[in-house]
Amino acid sequence: MMRNMAYEALDFYDIDSMLSEEERMVRDMVRDWVEDRVIPNIEEACRDGVFPDDWRKEIGEMGILGAPLKGYGCPGLSYIAYGLICQELERGDSGVRSFASVQGSLAMYPIHDFGSEEQKEYYLPKMASGEWVGCFGLTEPDYGSNPGDMITRAEDKGDHFLLNGAKMWITNGTIADLAVVWAKLDGEIKGFIVEKGDEGFSAPEMKGKHSLKASVTSELVFQDCKIPKNRILPDVKGLRGPFSCLNNARYGISWGAVGAAQSCFNSAKEYSLSRIQFGHPIASFQLIQNKLSWMLREITKGQLLAYHMGKKKDDGTWIPEQISLAKMNNVDMALEIARMSRDIHGANGILDEYPVMRHMANLESVKTYEGTHDIHNLILGRHITGIQSFTREP
Amino acid sequence: MGVAVLIKQVPDTTSKVSVAGDRVDESSVSKWSISPYDEYALECAMRLKESGYSEVVAITCGPQRSSKALTEAAAVGADSLIHVHVEDSLDSIQVQTLLSAAIKRTGSEIVLCGKQAADTNSGSTGPGIASILDYSCVGVVSEVSVDDGVLVATRQGPSGLEEIEVSAPCLFTFDKGESELRRPNVRGIMMAKKKTVEALTPGDLGVDLGESAVIVNSHSSPPDKPPGQKFEGVSSIATVVQKLRDEANVI
Repeated sequence: MMRNMAYEALDFYDIDSMLSEEERMVRDMVRDWVEDRVIPNIEEACRDGVFPDDWRKEIGEMGILGAPLKGYGCPGLSYIAYGLICQELERGDSGVRSFASVQGSLAMYPIHDFGSEEQKEYYLPKMASGEWVGCFGLTEPDYGSNPGDMITRAEDKGDHFLLNGAKMWITNGTIADLAVVWAKLDGEIKGFIVEKGDEGFSAPEMKGKHSLKASVTSELVFQDCKIPKNRILPDVKGLRGPFSCLNNARYGISWGAVGAAQSCFNSAKEYSLSRIQFGHPIASFQLIQNKLSWMLREITKGQLLAYHMGKKKDDGTWIPEQISLAKMNNVDMALEIARMSRDIHGANGILDEYPVMRHMANLESVKTYEGTHDIHNLILGRHITGIQSFTREP
Repeated sequence: MGVAVLIKQVPDTTSKVSVAGDRVDESSVSKWSISPYDEYALECAMRLKESGYSEVVAITCGPQRSSKALTEAAAVGADSLIHVHVEDSLDSIQVQTLLSAAIKRTGSEIVLCGKQAADTNSGSTGPGIASILDYSCVGVVSEVSVDDGVLVATRQGPSGLEEIEVSAPCLFTFDKGESELRRPNVRGIMMAKKKTVEALTPGDLGVDLGESAVIVNSHSSPPDKPPGQKFEGVSSIATVVQKLRDEANVI
């Protein structure tokens, strides 16, 4: 595996020294894969608007899907290792990290934690190997930040359930072999597993995105969709189900954003050292150095936040509000760094020769999905004051 | 029968190497990796194992840090790991003597290694060991397979690919081939964690290194590349042609 240029990931406070050898090896494996397979091909994938099927297979072969889950063919890695995997994937592209987040945290995790023994044995090994792709249906066209008022309904018809409704903004939807769908059964939110090919189920792809172009985004449509009774997730009800999935995914995003920011920082550093204006590299000018030093400062803080959050996940001493802070802060930081990096690249920054504009456009989605930036502020506001401000209702 | 693969940890080919004082500054190396030609040997060892050889033992000789190269080999499937631990830099003959003793200890009669290491590029380890152990040696191969108990090595000859049949005991040195080292996976990495590295000193191997016959006076960085030259206008055609022919050797 000979490569042209060394990628030296920014690690100013030496997070590397705090990792176990296993965590470092997993990180390096994913980093090498991203360097060999994603970075040389990502622009083409974006232009074509596809998530290459080879990537699905190779991610499956590496054995990183559902990283922190144990048993049923799942990797059983630490949450730190899961974070590092997200960081490296998103250094390549947020769409690649999204694929892994959705598969692991949003589709495998609920089956692992809330599924029946039979469901775990049937679905998880196939999903851990990447043979089957999963997606997660919570958001609806009219219910984004407010999923509790979802319209999608399930009816118990004796020997089967009947689903009706529609989900929107579903990553992996069209390529998925199964969907974990949240719907109301007798007024209470429950999780259901819908398989590709189930009667009355379709997953048309949403086109025309300016962001996450190498990721598949779909609608899920249920029109009298008939599923067997054993497809309900028995061990969870209410919003706790989808929210606990989101907590894991948001945790991964807090690391992923660091990866995207590192990529933008590296590109800005290299560009500014080689770009000559007024007879000198622009990196020698104070305005540029100020920007680079701000990037280094923000990335370093974000890394420490993600690392400490990972330790708390591994210890089991975390609260969801801490994950809200990590996701919100790190995505915000990464987006600002992407914009600043684009600025340092001047006009060149808009070209696909550099990764910055792609990261910038991707991060606009990442800022919004999995709880918008503002919703995370409200979660923290409620934590500080004890007063919820999501709704006008008491 | 087991296969031994010799592995050297070198600065990654993408790493910057700098010189401090009159020696290469190892602390400036950001990434250490298995030498690329050794990776081809390791991949071939894994394929031989898949075609029926009982186990692959990976052997390295070097300072403490080089143990990581063995763990990396274990992550792609090496079964046992031997680290001949020496902190000082050794000359080629000292390295060959130590590695030969380690190979003898394993009883391996098939030995694979890179044709040269990516740092020193001396190309002496493989042939030197074959000579010490009195093994046959086939150099600069791209592939070794087993056909009905006979080892068949493929190498680039002057007029095309050569296939060489050879019987064990034999040592092969590897050139870049078609088969790049497989990517590890999480399962391999977790298994690698459980495999112990057998650390041996020269004394454990019954080797007295003695004084090195080689004295390295100093290391230095290569000179900076001269800046590019610019030629404009029709009048410079003759100069450009002359330079392309005599200096660049491209026409």
